Amino acid sequence: MSLLDALPTPRLERGSYPNVVLVSLSAVMLAAIWGLDAVSMAPNRIVQGAGAGVMEALGWPGALLASLLVLALGTLAFRPNPTNYSAALGVVVLILALMPFGLMVAGHFLIDPALPQARLGIGAGYWVVLFVLLLCLIELRLRLALTRLWPMLILAGVGLLWWLCAWLWLGDLALVQEYRARDQQLIRAVGQHVVLVGVAVSISVVLGTLLALLMRRYARLQKGAFAVLNFLQTIPSLALFGLLLAPLAWLSANVPVLAELGVSGIGNTPALIALVAYSLLPMVRNTYIALEEVSADTLEAASAMGMRASQRFWQVRLPLALPVLLEGVRITTVQAIGLTAVAALIGAGGLGTFIFQGLGQAAMDMVLLGALPILILALMVDAALSALTEVLRPGGVQ
Amino acid sequence: MTHSATRRQRRVPHAGQKRFWTRPLLWGVLLCICVAGIPYAEGLFRWLEPDARQVIYQRAPFYALLGRHMLVVGAAAVVTIAVGVGAGIAVTRRRGRDFLPLVAQLASLGQTFPPVAVLALAVPILGFGTLPIIMALMLYGLLPIVRNTLAGLQEVEGDIKTAARAMGMTPVQILQRVELPLAAPVILAGIRTSVTINIATAALGATVGASNLGDPIIAGIINGNMAYVIQGALIIALLALTLDSLFDSLQTRLRQRLSAFPR
Repeated sequence: MSLLDALPTPRLERGSYPNVVLVSLSAVMLAAIWGLDAVSMAPNRIVQGAGAGVMEALGWPGALLASLLVLALGTLAFRPNPTNYSAALGVVVLILALMPFGLMVAGHFLIDPALPQARLGIGAGYWVVLFVLLLCLIELRLRLALTRLWPMLILAGVGLLWWLCAWLWLGDLALVQEYRARDQQLIRAVGQHVVLVGVAVSISVVLGTLLALLMRRYARLQKGAFAVLNFLQTIPSLALFGLLLAPLAWLSANVPVLAELGVSGIGNTPALIALVAYSLLPMVRNTYIALEEVSADTLEAASAMGMRASQRFWQVRLPLALPVLLEGVRITTVQAIGLTAVAALIGAGGLGTFIFQGLGQAAMDMVLLGALPILILALMVDAALSALTEVLRPGGVQ
Repeated sequence: MTHSATRRQRRVPHAGQKRFWTRPLLWGVLLCICVAGIPYAEGLFRWLEPDARQVIYQRAPFYALLGRHMLVVGAAAVVTIAVGVGAGIAVTRRRGRDFLPLVAQLASLGQTFPPVAVLALAVPILGFGTLPIIMALMLYGLLPIVRNTLAGLQEVEGDIKTAARAMGMTPVQILQRVELPLAAPVILAGIRTSVTINIATAALGATVGASNLGDPIIAGIINGNMAYVIQGALIIALLALTLDSLFDSLQTRLRQRLSAFPR
């Protein structure tokens, strides 16, 4: 088993043969543009929308433009060199930037202004192209040997543009309509979600580090603690949330001090306990491995230089262990973002409420409104902490 | 190598064989006892939940729920293993080497997507029921398998592969007889992680109408009936422990077989 829970970024040599990856990704995009529904229209929020292909949605000029841009990307990949890769990056950014305008055109063509409830859904073709463009961005980043900061900046810019378009001109879009109907609720839910994840991860970082340190001191503790933590992971998150309801309800009913502190069977307390219980294993495992992995030679060199034990820990062991430790924080946080959504089932609030309410009402736009921020949040945290890990790795970024 | 040493080596795995299979067997028996015995343990659950109208989950028998749960996890596992190991092999060949970074990144992206979100996004496309949860499990379980396949295949020493080539093996033979057997324990560890995670995650499927062991849990949370939750959680945990110990035994056996050859 590899020690890191994610693969390090591989280094690539630049060849002069065609870049098969980009060519095949372009082919996939072309197939998605012409073969899948670009958008869907629905008369209201409950009815399943009817799909529309690219010709209907964008008209032939739009379809031609989209195909030509993708073809350009594929053609540039046939002659890979830094200039062409940069140009390909430009094309990818251009397509990303043009996508909301395509939706505007589709809304103009397809949505009858006489129906105030009519809404435009984003179709499978659009999602596939968006996802593949993300993959192109990853590939280009690796080929151009850019740091992780670049795609983050690009995506932030594109996201801002999308947001602006949605704000100003995309009133027909189902997602925007759904958002306008409950924007206060959504913003509050995002806040709750972030706070829950933040508190749970902070607690588990502190507890996890303490536990890992204790394990290093008392070897006997190690086996038992890992066994308990492993067992906790086999209990489904759903059940752990459910199992905490009754004991906590009993506690808050019988111990008034706890009730005053806000402990109750339903809501934040069981959610937090379950989240911390789940987060402890990846946290402890990575912290323990990180501290153990520091090479004995380095430590010996440190003591030969006259360092005391505490100096050795703070100045040698900890800095060297930090990247792997952060890896643990990253895994824990991403996992907690997903688990917090489940916590909505026991009344903890957060974005999961939108998902489960939407599922209950069979209103898929509402489900989307809850799921997309979760996805974006997870990707953002993942990218940010990966970048931080890269910076802190011995040697750092070149 | 002397005669006695050879004999001892043959006997060691044999003697260990019994020890290997006792743990999974024990967990498995416990699982069966629970599945068969919970409907009769009404007194026990009544003590836990004295006010509830019903304390034993009745909507479907537990063995049916267990069967469906295993079917969902199994279907997802088969696809994930085929895709994950296939992709891992493909990108370590000369032809597919270009795709290596992308596949590695894609797999780790798959685990960044929270299963709840994937589940929710899959419902509009695949409808309510079992399909969305299989899809979510596939995405979530892909990373450990791809990562371990890549790690296992890359750990095979170049010298060994060169020796195999020098013996006249074709690339396919090298893959079949040298690389895969040597990488097998690492790949198996990946499959183990993936399947164990997915057994617990599959319970989420009950929120989108897939009927499996998550059903009693959801019903328990909604009705405030702790007994239901415990019944579902107990069986899922036992299932996970059974399969985990089974994989553990398989891994030990594989490792023993690899190291059993006299040096």
